[in-house]
Amino acid sequence: MNLPRAESALAATSSGIVALLVLPPLAAVALAGAGAGFAPIREPGVVANTLLFGVAATAASLAVGGSLALALAPGVPGRATLERLTVMPLYLTPLLTAMGWNWLASPKSGLINLILHAVFGPWATINVISPTGVILVSALAMAPLPFLLISDALRGLDPSLIEAARVHGGSRRLVFCRITAPLLLPAALASALLLGVQTIGMFSVPAVLGLPAGFNVATTEIFQLLENYPPRIADATAWGMLLLAISIALTVAQSALLGRRSFVTITGKTSRPAASKPMAGRARALLAMAYIALATVLPLAALLWAAISLFVPADLKLMQFTSQHFSFVLFGYPKTWLAAGNSLLLGMLTASVVCGLGLAVSWVVLHGRGRGRSILDQLSMTPLSVPAMVFALGLLWVYVRVPLPIYGTILVLLIAYATHYLPFGVRTTNAALRQLHPELEEAARVAGASWSRAIGRITLPLVQPTMLAAWILLFVMAMQEVSSSILLYTSRSIVLSVAVFDLWENGNPSDVAALGFVQLAISFVVVTLVLVIRGRRALT
Amino acid sequence: MTTLAHVSGVRGAVSLDALSLSHGSVPAVRGVSFLAAPREVLTLLGPSGCGKTTTLRAIAGLETPQHGRIMIDGRAVYDASCRINLPPEQRGLSMVFQSYAIWPHMTVAENVAFGLRARGVGKARLHESVRRCLDLVGLGALADRPATRLSGGQQQRVALARSIAGDPGVILLDEPLSNLDAQLRLAMRTELRALQRRLGLTAIYVTHDQEEALALSDQVAVMREGTIEQIGTPQEIHASPCSRFVAEFMGVRNVIPCQVIPHGGGVLALLPDGTKLQARGPIPTGPVCVCFRPISVQIRTGPDGGRPAVVSAAAYLGDLMQYELQAGDLSICARSLPRDDLREGATVYWSVPPEACFLVSA
Ligand SMILES: Nc1ncnc2c1ncn2[C@@H]1O[C@H](COP(=O)(O)OP(=O)(O)OP(=O)(O)O)[C@@H](O)[C@H]1O
Ligand SMILES: [Mg+2]
Repeated sequence: MNLPRAESALAATSSGIVALLVLPPLAAVALAGAGAGFAPIREPGVVANTLLFGVAATAASLAVGGSLALALAPGVPGRATLERLTVMPLYLTPLLTAMGWNWLASPKSGLINLILHAVFGPWATINVISPTGVILVSALAMAPLPFLLISDALRGLDPSLIEAARVHGGSRRLVFCRITAPLLLPAALASALLLGVQTIGMFSVPAVLGLPAGFNVATTEIFQLLENYPPRIADATAWGMLLLAISIALTVAQSALLGRRSFVTITGKTSRPAASKPMAGRARALLAMAYIALATVLPLAALLWAAISLFVPADLKLMQFTSQHFSFVLFGYPKTWLAAGNSLLLGMLTASVVCGLGLAVSWVVLHGRGRGRSILDQLSMTPLSVPAMVFALGLLWVYVRVPLPIYGTILVLLIAYATHYLPFGVRTTNAALRQLHPELEEAARVAGASWSRAIGRITLPLVQPTMLAAWILLFVMAMQEVSSSILLYTSRSIVLSVAVFDLWENGNPSDVAALGFVQLAISFVVVTLVLVIRGRRALT
Repeated sequence: MTTLAHVSGVRGAVSLDALSLSHGSVPAVRGVSFLAAPREVLTLLGPSGCGKTTTLRAIAGLETPQHGRIMIDGRAVYDASCRINLPPEQRGLSMVFQSYAIWPHMTVAENVAFGLRARGVGKARLHESVRRCLDLVGLGALADRPATRLSGGQQQRVALARSIAGDPGVILLDEPLSNLDAQLRLAMRTELRALQRRLGLTAIYVTHDQEEALALSDQVAVMREGTIEQIGTPQEIHASPCSRFVAEFMGVRNVIPCQVIPHGGGVLALLPDGTKLQARGPIPTGPVCVCFRPISVQIRTGPDGGRPAVVSAAAYLGDLMQYELQAGDLSICARSLPRDDLREGATVYWSVPPEACFLVSA
């Protein structure tokens, strides 16, 4: 059968764009890294740190996120609210969480330490400027990822599988070990892979809490190599290749571990989950609240405290409050408005491009009839298993050599963001389209509508609420991206998160906190505006 | 209850005493009582949402009722007044779920072995029991097959094997045949009954299929909105439904509100259009309906003794034909062997033998 022309044009265009986004940077990193002599060999300590950080932070974050997902079972009081607050660190970003914890628990002036010193004396100190601090704060910041994946798996789990085990003589413990845990294994492995890639590629937490303690990992090493004058791009790319190699190894390991096992069962009517006991419910809610306090409330409170303190004191008695930091970042700091403009523009563009491209890719993968659909699917998901910084290195390498007029503009950043967030767009739209019965579209065709009219009048309006939710999350994430921005920005294309980090390195700590708040406030205002304009239904 | 004392301590007896359960403010089960004697199949029959599953889950310990008592093998496993509520694993029964609930990460044999392992059965005996149960359901050859690669009917058999592996006295089945196709459903029904007899199991069986209930059960409890409307042997339920609801649920298609006039040994039912029908007693209190099954309607082409009606529709059911008769405002459903002389639009004469007409409360 001949494919309709509009349909095949869509398939060709989306495949072309995805291939152009994903393949050149990866090829560049692989080729350039291989050609550059292997820089990481000269720094075995940093390699070891990267691996240690990757493994420990992944394990800790999986433990935290997994426990939270299991704890927030149906019937826990305030479950919906607790779930929403649990994923707040996604909006806060690791950079602000790390800075918050710096003001909470840096050994000399951390708020917690000031209190501990006042109560117990100077021996009572929590030091977050340390490898352990880097690992734990990263785990807190990233726990929402395994939480979301494992919660999803739990929701998809037929509760009668667990009830059957109880009825056939299994105690709670036995049922957890023999039934629940093995059934969650695929989701746990998927989380581990995602976390592994995210941790080895994470820049902000090691930069804020690790560098001052001399704890250097691959990403901070790359950053420093590029900060050099002249920048040592070849060596940096070699580190990028190491990250790429680890990512590939992780992906291979995950699919080998999981094998071809599929736990999808054919079932009829499934039963409703039984609610947990009220007492246990309260303990579970408390656990979630403890996490929310550590990952969101305390860091935010510390941020606010730092932003309105005249200076970060070494003694609680010297505390003084002021609004001068806010007026400085709003009116005195020249980069704020340039960066805010760039960030806003980039956030909106990224969200729109990723939603559009994701929708096109998902439509082609799900409903298209051309060959190579599964290749398109996998290609569009590749950025999920490669750290953002690797893509940025690839882009850097490409644009230094290829004389395109886009280097130094926010277009480069847009390309990096679009590539990095593409899997998110594809997955979300894929899920939205899957819920639509293809017959809805077919009915429109049978009723005489053209293909484009059927898409425009039936499919798009139906997926619109999901798309809006995805757009908002993408906007917020893009507003706060650090790892690739830090490599690709120039003084003209600076963005807010980079400005925050820049101040962190060179400025007054209180100004940083104020700017962090400005950044959060801008995201918040835009999200609220979008919700008000398009109706509140979108996020429910 | 005196009957309770009778069977207390006997393996396999299940009794419910005024059991009530609400989901939040929605009452799902309201004062349900019954007694299933050892080696008996008791079926909970009723339309969707009447509380069958909830009752079964309460017996299993998967839901906590608010009132009443549940006894298994003469032991209270739930008693609201004494605050007894044993967890499911201590109730010593087993269950076949509507979704089968086959653990997808295990093989067929591991699925069957789970309950035995949980109770600490030794290796040798475990293997022997698993083999025996799989042979009983005809799955001996599939022991090492991953559970995800099974057809619906095979999953059904695994679920069955799993539930008899622990040698329970009581087995609970929640619409176990509803996901199978029609032919397999009939075959499994027979097999299920044979297996239950052979192993001497007490079974509480949930279904909304009246035919299945009649074929399988020693006792049928017809449920409606969380209560038991009528309980009795299949014959009693079939022959003498106590209410319009039960009659209609048992496939009595002709249920017509009427007045009753005592008449000699029997009664006369006076239909709204003035037709009089002779019916058998007893007469329920309150407003009543007269009922008769389609198969009891006799149709003639000549007027001797019958009432006139027009054939408004004829449908071919396979062995039988179903005719809709219209006489003024009155519609009658009749079934008979296919006949050439009953075309749509033909005028015919119908009658019902008095012994086939009975009265239920409206
Ligand atoms: N977890 C729950 N929360 C709220 N209401 C529930 C819950 N479970 C059941 N109900 C309600 O309780 C009533 C009885 O439900 P139940 O599942 O026992 O019906 P059923 O007879 O098994 O129906 P079906 O034949 O459809 O399986 C229904 O009205 C149902 O909506
Ligand atoms: Mg049910």
